[in-house]
Parts: sequence; C-alpha cells; structure tokens
Amino acid sequence: MRQDMKPSMKPLLRSFGMFIRQISKDSMLIVVCIAPILAAFFFHFGIPIIEGLLCEFFRKTTVLTPYNLLFDLFLSILTPYMFCFASAMLMLTEYDEGMTSYLAVTPIGKKGYILSRLLTPAVISFFASSLLLLYFALTTWAFMMIIMVCLLTSLTSIAVALLVFSISHNRVEGMAMAKLSGLMMLGLPVPFFLLSNVQYIFAFLPSFWIAKLGMEQNVLYFIPALLTSLTWLWILYRKFERKLT
Amino acid sequence: MRTKALLKGDIGFQFKYGFYFLYLVFSVLYIGILFALPFEWREKAALLMVLTDPAAMGLYFMGAIILLEKSEKVLNSIAISPVKSREYVLSKLLSISIISTAVGLAIGIAGGVVSNLLYFSIGVFLASCLFSAVGLIIAANVSTLNAFIIATIPASLLINVPAIAYLFGFKKNWLILHPGVSMIELCSSGQNAIFAFLVLVFWTVLLAALSSRVVGKMLQAVGGVKL
Repeated sequence: MRQDMKPSMKPLLRSFGMFIRQISKDSMLIVVCIAPILAAFFFHFGIPIIEGLLCEFFRKTTVLTPYNLLFDLFLSILTPYMFCFASAMLMLTEYDEGMTSYLAVTPIGKKGYILSRLLTPAVISFFASSLLLLYFALTTWAFMMIIMVCLLTSLTSIAVALLVFSISHNRVEGMAMAKLSGLMMLGLPVPFFLLSNVQYIFAFLPSFWIAKLGMEQNVLYFIPALLTSLTWLWILYRKFERKLT
Repeated sequence: MRTKALLKGDIGFQFKYGFYFLYLVFSVLYIGILFALPFEWREKAALLMVLTDPAAMGLYFMGAIILLEKSEKVLNSIAISPVKSREYVLSKLLSISIISTAVGLAIGIAGGVVSNLLYFSIGVFLASCLFSAVGLIIAANVSTLNAFIIATIPASLLINVPAIAYLFGFKKNWLILHPGVSMIELCSSGQNAIFAFLVLVFWTVLLAALSSRVVGKMLQAVGGVKL
C-alpha cells in the first residue's frame, strides 16, 4: 500500500522501459517520433506555399494566415497526444490480457503504472513539443507562453489517454472512446470560428482555454486552462482507480 | 442460418461497444460541420467525410474487434464450431456496413450529395465491406492495437489518396479502376457510375475472398491445427 502511494524509481523505470520496448516492437515509437517532426515541417514550410496557391485561386490577400496560430496550437498538442494515444492503446491491450492488474500489485502500483505509462511520455513530449514550437511556429511566441501552452497540452493529452482507458471495458470500447475523445480537441478551433459568447459552451474543455491563452496572450487564461485540465485528470484518475479495483 | 446468428451476435456486441451511440454523435457533428460550410463546398465535404469515416470504420475498428475476440478466446470457440470462415467474414462485413450505410446516408442527404439513393447506398455499403475486409486481413496478422494502427496507415493512404485527388478535380477515367475512386464515382452518380459499380464489386469480392482465406488460416491456428 505504501509503495502504491509513493512508487520508487527503479520499478517505474523498468515499467517505462517495458512501454518503450513494446511500442518500438510495434514500430509505433518511430511513428510517434517522426510524425510530429514531419507535421512541423509541413506546417512551417507547406502552409505558406498552400496559402500562396489559395490566395491566387480565390483572389484574396489572406486565406489561411489568420489561422496560423491554430496550426501552431495543433503542433503543440500533436506530440503529447500521439505519445499518450500510443500509451492508451498499449494500456488497453495490457488490460484485456490481464497484465494491468498484475502490474498494479507489483511495486509499480496503480500510481506507478500511470506515471510510467502516461506521465513520463507526457514529460518527454512536453520538451519535444516545446522545441518544435520554438523552431517551427508560424506565429511569434514568447518563451514563457510556449512553456505554458506545452505544459497544458501535455496535461490534456494525459486526460485524453485516461479517458480512453478508464471509461472503456475492453479494447473495442477503447477504440470507440479514442474516436470520441478526439472531441476533447474541439476546443482548439472554437475561439477562432465562434466569435460570440456562445463559445463559452466549450469552457469545460481544457483545449478551449489553451486556444484562448494562445489568442489573447493573457496569462490569466492559464488558470482556467490548468483548472479544467486538473479537474478532468482528477475525475478520470478516480475512474481509473475504480477500474483497477 | 449460421450467418444470421453470427450477424445478430455481431450487431448486439457493436451496440454494446457503443458503435451506434458513437456514430450518432459523429453524424450530428458532421452534419453540423456541413451546415457551417459554404454551400458550394458541401457536396465535396460530405463525400470526403463519408469516404474517410463511416465507410472506413471497419478499417479503424476491425483490429480491436479481432484482437479482443482472440484474447477472449471467442475465436477458439468459433474454430471448433461448424461456422465457416466465409460466414464469419460475411457477418463482420455486413454488421459494420449497416452502420456505415446508415451514417453515410444521413451525411449524404444532409450534404445534398445524394442524387441517386440506390447508387449512393450501394457505394457506401460496398466501400464499407471493402475497408472492413482490408481491416480483417491486417487484424489477422497482428497481435497488438498499435501494430494494427500502424499497418492500417498505408492501406488507408492507398485507398483514400487517389479517391481524394479524383474528388478534387483529378478526374482521369482510368482512375475509376481504383476502388476508392469507384466509390466516389458511384456515390456521386457520375457518368461512369455503372462501370464504377462493377469495379467496386470486383475489388470488394476479391478482398472479401482474400480475408476469408486469411481468417480461415487464423481459425485453423487458434483451433490448434497448423497444417
């Protein structure tokens, strides 16, 4: 019990090693590492080219440029989302095969399981997405803003993965939840397209506040973004604990 | 009779797994997005949505379905039952294509793209069977969800990219020989709809037969017989 409250480092590292080995065996690791870089190159170099073609075709001065920040926000969430998605898929497989319950009673514990499967990948992807945003953003970002947004997107990605794992009873339901959990990202485009106060219907989504933070560049928006993320995480972690009981 | 029982079971499980609820939510979402788009974009957007989601749902879900059946030892029971692999495959393809066709029709009608109800329904139905058959072939050869997802990427690109290119103006007649393109041509009731129908039937039957063979081998393997 004590070990579940505070898992030690060695089992955690072993459990994380298991995760990395498994996703590298599936080739998922290479995809998770390469896809965000390809996306970053595409956003940074491809979008301006497409913008030029679209402006010429529609005879307008701007088509995509007002949404450059939205592309940046998608870039900031892509790495943690992909990493946590791969982890959620592995967790579903492990649960169906009865591995999760075994791991939960080893020194890894429930907390350790979450730490090694979700938090560690999220921390790594936080650094990766910060670097991608620093070098490939289409708009100008203050360093602190990059840190805040990438921290929030990492937390949101953990929430998405927990949602997929905790609500489902097996991997088929997990896949259905994975599809549904994509709606958690719906908050990102909302402030760009819904300009009236109706947009606040989506205030329960952390992604909505992340977009507001990026748009308004007002640090105050960090608070609701963090609070909504932590609320989702708290609710879903309780669900996760019940699932493993 | 056996196929009917399998089909009933598959539909029941798909309902329990939340497929019907999920696609109800996504239908509302897609239709909402369609109405938010400029009128002249709706037709193409609706076809794109139908091709990449409801029609392709078999490719997305089949891995999880088969892997769950493997881990729950459902396939072991099927392997020793009189069920033939083609009946198993038929049930899987039909059960998923029911949802695909219903959702495809809802999106298509809302998007104003359905000029011929019969052609459109057949197009979505056959495309769904085709995607599911590809999903089955891949699922029979993998052991984890991540491996399945990775393996579906090239299949998905191969089917979708030429179809999207055709939809957005790269209209070469020879492209209708491609299964994704034939679905687009059939659903939009194009000039070559009858030919597209024949092409799509050919590809669907071919891939369904191939998936039946692969499933047959998989059932033999889980049944303990490796000849």
